[in-house]
This record gives sequence, C-alpha cells and structure tokens, in this order.
Amino acid sequence: MKKLSKKQRDRDLRLSIKHRKGSSNNEKKLSDIVISQEWKAANKWIDEYNNNGLDITIHKKRLVEIHLPSIMNFNENYEETALHIAAIRKLTEHRNVPRKAYRLVKVDFKKLEEISTSSALVLTAELSKWDDSIRTKLKPNTEEWNCGIVKQFSELGFFDLFLVEESEKNDYVNSCSDTGISVVKYIKGRCKDKSKTRILKKCIGEIVGDKINKWTFLDCGLSEAITNVSHHAYPIKYSYSEEDKNWYLTGSYNKDTSELKVVFYDQGIGIPKSLPASDIWETILTWFSAHPAIDRKRHEVLLKAAVELDRTSTLDSDRGKGLQDLLEFVKHRGEGYLSIFSLKGLYKYSMENGKHKMKTEGFDQKIYGTLIIWSVVLK
Amino acid sequence: MKELNIGKKFSTDPSGRYIDPDGDASGEAFRENYLRDAINSLEPGEKLVVIIDDGVESYGSSFLVEGFAGMVKYGYIHPKELLDKLDIRYTDEDFEFYKDKIIQYINEAKYNSEEYPRKNNI
Repeated sequence: MKKLSKKQRDRDLRLSIKHRKGSSNNEKKLSDIVISQEWKAANKWIDEYNNNGLDITIHKKRLVEIHLPSIMNFNENYEETALHIAAIRKLTEHRNVPRKAYRLVKVDFKKLEEISTSSALVLTAELSKWDDSIRTKLKPNTEEWNCGIVKQFSELGFFDLFLVEESEKNDYVNSCSDTGISVVKYIKGRCKDKSKTRILKKCIGEIVGDKINKWTFLDCGLSEAITNVSHHAYPIKYSYSEEDKNWYLTGSYNKDTSELKVVFYDQGIGIPKSLPASDIWETILTWFSAHPAIDRKRHEVLLKAAVELDRTSTLDSDRGKGLQDLLEFVKHRGEGYLSIFSLKGLYKYSMENGKHKMKTEGFDQKIYGTLIIWSVVLK
Repeated sequence: MKELNIGKKFSTDPSGRYIDPDGDASGEAFRENYLRDAINSLEPGEKLVVIIDDGVESYGSSFLVEGFAGMVKYGYIHPKELLDKLDIRYTDEDFEFYKDKIIQYINEAKYNSEEYPRKNNI
C-alpha cells in the first residue's frame, strides 16, 4: 500500500463526483423520456375524445377547461360520466410537464344538473387527488352552479377539501331548497381504518332516523372492501405514494323513495388488474387485450371470476372469499342491489322479492380503481 | 370453562387478515395473541366459550379464516379437536352467520399446510 498524495486524493475525489453526477444525469434523462411518452399519450387521448364525447375548451398555452355533463350517473350515463372523470386524471397525473402538454385549469360545474352519490364521490376523490398534487391551491366558484348540486356537494363535504371559510360553506347550504336527498359527509380512510365504518353507521342512523336492519352484513362487506384495499389495490410495484393509498366512503338517503345507498371507492389498480389470468379463456383475452373491445370483455370476465370463484392475486386456496362478503347485505335483506365497477367492468347482483339476478357488463371508458355501491329500499 | 369475549378482550373492530398490513385487530393478531393461548390453557375436556357479538359490528371472511382456521392451517390443532373445544356464543341472531362461517372455514382448512410465520404475507 502506498500513501496517496493530497494531489492524487483530490483527483480521485473529483473523478468520483464526476461519476456520480454522470449517473444521475442518465437517470434524469430516462425519467424525462418516460414523462415525455406519458404526456404525449395524454395529449393524444385528449385530441381523440375532444368533440367526441368529451366537452372541453382548449385555451391559449394548451390550458384545458373541462365542462361536466348535465347528468353524471354510472348507472344511466356511464360512458360520459367516466370519460369526464378520466379526463381530469389524464390532465393532472403528471407534474412538471412541458408547455406542449395539455394542462387542466378548470373543471366547470355550470351544466351539471344531476349527479348520483357514487359519481359525486368519485369526482370528489379525483379533485382531491388533483388538489393534493398542487398543494391545495384549488378554490371552488359556485356562482353559476345548480342549487341542488351545491347542496349535495356541500353535504358530501366537497368544500372541506378546499380552503373555504366556514361561513361561506353554510351559505352554500342555506341558499338551497331541500332536494329530498340527504348525503353523509365523505369519510376518507387508510388501510387499518376499519373503525371509521362506525362513523358511517352513526351518520346514516341520523339521516334515516332509525337503525338499519341487517347492518352487520353491510359492515362485513365494508370490512372486506377495506382489507382488499390493504392487500391488493395499491401494490408496491406500482409505486403509489403513501398519500395516494386512500379509500372513500359515503352514503345517501332519498326520503321520497326510501332508497339508501352506501358507496365505497378506492383509486387503486382495480380488481381485474390485481388478478392472475389463469383460465384459458381469460389468458386468450389477455393476449388480445390490445384491442379495446376485448380489453373491455376481459375486465368484465375477471371481475365476475373475482366475485364468484374465490380467486385472488395470491392464488392461496383459503383466500378470495372477501368479495363474496359484499353480497351478504343484499342477500340478507332479500332486495336491493350491489354494483362493483372496476376499470372497464361491472358486476351487478340484485335481488327482488327474494329472487336474485346477476349481470356483467364491459365499457369503453374505465373507472380509475374500484367503486362499490350498495342500494336498498328501507321499508 | 374459560371465556374469550372478542369485543371486550381483543377488539370491537376485528378486521383484516395479517398484522402487516391490517394491524393489531387482524385475524393473525387474534389467533397468535389470544385464541392460541386460550386453547392451550384449557384442561382436558374443558371448553372455551367465545362470545362474538359483544360490541362487535361484524366479521369479514379474511379475519375469520386467518383467526380461526389459521389454527389448523399452521398445525396448532386438528379441525375436529378445535371444534370440540370451541363453544361460540351470541345473543344477536344475525351472528349465527359468523358462527357458521367459523365452523365452515375450520372444516375446510388443511392441517399443517403452511408454516408460521409466513415468509411473505401478501
């Protein structure tokens, strides 16, 4: 061993720093390439759907304003509803995009006249995600909103997302007449937050004014929905940030029809993507998944398999029973329906006069994550 | 006769399968920290009364499978022996559903089919 001179040591140090800088530059270039591909794909998607179902205005500097449709409802107007929510995601999921990329500046609620509880929850979750990514800079301007919409979003807790004064929030509610629908303020939770379902029970008890018969089976379904979020919705390999790993929960009660709805939503990878395609039919569908119509069918088939065949991403024989727990509330009440929307698939289980029906459906547009809706009529 | 009141001794919100990521109210936590010790402490012929509806809203399948059937899966006890030692009680008739599920999952579990602790829970 020879003792290094100071000159030699300094030279080694400079060389070492240069190497380190070199490698970080390469990494940066790689990430630039990925971001570039992603914003170009988002631009292409916006161009494809602009005036083709998507109602937007493109201002100078490629700033985009999204105009929400008059009816947002996953049951009656799925494609248009999902398309506009997807556009928010496409335009906001990447930060630090170049000027050539489209950027979202406004979501316009002016035309919106009717929105289902589930659509309102998904829209709120999407805007919350956007708001988080730009460090809570969004501010709602409700001047030209439909009055019923303001009330519905106010009850849902939408305005709590933003830095709005308490008095201003009260003004929104007081200025509107009763719509007949009461909404529970949304509950945002993480993996271990099962106890938050008690908040929902209390709030629903308050708006309905009575206990809900067979509640334990709804709670059991919610428990499994939360467990599924912890285990499958946000896998490590997809690099979700901790702040994104949420679930959202709300409920509503229509006094005129006595319909109670409970809605659970997560923004994860979706049930079809979390399952292995092990069956030959599903494997064939996977091969052809580049074709949109086949992709749609694949999600529908995988979703049905997940609910009915005890299948999970782990392939363990004693796992995968959880999604069947979601059905129990409707089964025990003997009426109502359960809808599971995940990516481009729908699984719907309904009961009427004690007889059950099941249907699946595939769509062109996808929901980002999984949306679960329970609906029963309280008699 | 010994007693294990899940709502009072363990959690009023039992949920999830594993301690990581589901937390200390998971089936794994229940089995390893409560049920296993309670079963082991029984005298020959003695039964463990498990009260399932005191302050508890519900049980998901993940909790029941891991909490109860896990005793068989990890080779702590044979299914018939476990069922002989358990006396599951409730006053809310809706909880009969969970009792039936516990029995079903214990009967379906394969004795000593997995090692505990698991290498990769998820």
